[in-house]
Amino acid sequence: MTHDTANNSDIALIEFKGTTLPVLAITLRSLDLQELTNAGSTLFGEGAFFDDDLAVLDLSQVITWPEDIAWSLIVQLLTSHGLRVLGVTRANPDLTASAARAGLPLLALSAGRSAKPAPVAKKASAPDPELDKIPASLRKKPAPETAPVGSAGPDKSEPEESLLDNPGTLIIDRPLRSGQQVYARGGDLVILAAVNPGAEVIADGNIHVYAPLRGRALAGARGNAQARILTTVFAAELVSIAGIYRTFEDGVPAKLANQPVQVRLAQEPAISANTGLKSRLEIDILRVD
Amino acid sequence: MTRIVVVTSGKGGVGKTTTSASFASGLAMRGFKTAVIDFDVGLRNLDLIMGCERRVVYDLVNVISGEATLNQALIKDKHCENLFVLPASQTRDKDALTEEGVEKVLKDLEHMGFEYVICDSPAGIERGAVMALTFADEAIIVTNPEVSSVRDSDRILGILQAKSKRAQAGGEPVKEHLLVTRYSPKRVEDGEMLSYKDVQEILRVPIIGVIPESESVLHASNQGTPAIHIEQSEVAEAYKDVIARFLGEDAPLRFVSYEKPGLFKRLFGG
Repeated sequence: MTHDTANNSDIALIEFKGTTLPVLAITLRSLDLQELTNAGSTLFGEGAFFDDDLAVLDLSQVITWPEDIAWSLIVQLLTSHGLRVLGVTRANPDLTASAARAGLPLLALSAGRSAKPAPVAKKASAPDPELDKIPASLRKKPAPETAPVGSAGPDKSEPEESLLDNPGTLIIDRPLRSGQQVYARGGDLVILAAVNPGAEVIADGNIHVYAPLRGRALAGARGNAQARILTTVFAAELVSIAGIYRTFEDGVPAKLANQPVQVRLAQEPAISANTGLKSRLEIDILRVD
Repeated sequence: MTRIVVVTSGKGGVGKTTTSASFASGLAMRGFKTAVIDFDVGLRNLDLIMGCERRVVYDLVNVISGEATLNQALIKDKHCENLFVLPASQTRDKDALTEEGVEKVLKDLEHMGFEYVICDSPAGIERGAVMALTFADEAIIVTNPEVSSVRDSDRILGILQAKSKRAQAGGEPVKEHLLVTRYSPKRVEDGEMLSYKDVQEILRVPIIGVIPESESVLHASNQGTPAIHIEQSEVAEAYKDVIARFLGEDAPLRFVSYEKPGLFKRLFGG
């Protein structure tokens, strides 16, 4: 079917294209409202811990559940902690049916991606009144790519990139002082000046520090195990990728100290099927010549 | 247009009040009408260092709460023409300080024709310290060449960049100056102490001066005279250099190198 070019009224009132959004998988081990309320308070405190983050409830670990599951109250509880629940996943047929009756659809997670959010990163990204956020004036963000309007024709096969697919890299070009924290949500973080001891840099993607890294760096904050930390002068207090972290109590090892270094997560198949992949941080000299 | 300068550090005991007293005196000696305000409510020291503790009748908190006028509270310094001291309260605490109150005091000082207002910050990062830096145009970060002082100075720099009015309004940022105090070139030479260059490398703020460690600072506080008035002393000269650099003049760093005394001196002391 060919498109008519001239007539304005033919322009579609509804357009659609593929897009990807980051979603957290929240694994629940109970569906009892009181137990979840208490667990929520312990983990997240009162009020919003998350930032209106999309979430899907992973029910694969639920062994027993009450006869009447208070789905809407559970969703309300999670909403009060700042989560927007889209549906459930990995649920057995009974739970799937029960959730569906409450308006929560069964969603399939894409295979191969780590679904569990990193616990260290969660702590780091919580709004902490002690730490100062970088004021907007210090951040430099490249202009977002505007998606081209309309489609060229039926033979265009590639989906157009929306801003959400490519959130851009957060670039900071002033030193990060002790107590300051920067979080590059959904993308990479590039720091062009020193990260001082006591400062924290966090990114969902990779972290590049083209200056002394003396504070803490947490990459792959939402569970991206492929994320890396790269720096030209390594002197960090703590590094973490997808929640797997290492501190340097006796200082950074001599052969790595103040050198260009790359930190990444090596994943090895484990001995028993239950534990899944075993992860180890590898910290190596980065050859820059 | 009044310039408001905060003297802060994060760490306690590094030389903020000593510096505020000498810096304000130095500007007054150059002919600028200057006020120096003590923000350490409850633990006031500026009046002692300036030698006017017996003349304190009203203080900053009295002025903020409307119990006294600025004219009644300001104390004229006996060493310098052009210099006025606004002491802190000793009986109240920092909760008496409000942002609106502090803003009004600074506006009133501007109307009275003050060209520089020096805010002597207390140690720490709580209310008094934040109030002192909120309205600053420039900041002198006083740092000892010692690890915890450097860490705390780094922290206060972060707070300055986040909580000052200039930062929040997104305008021209507060101009930062690094002042290294209690410097001992001999100990740096012996590898016991960080050098001023090391301090600057970590903090990345332009250096406005280095004040050598000296007994004359203690003598000065005991006498109630700002150190800049102790003639011929290295500290006085170093503070005068700081004033010169602050006003845009060229002044190479002095008192930063250690010269090994010759054999004669080492044998016979001196």
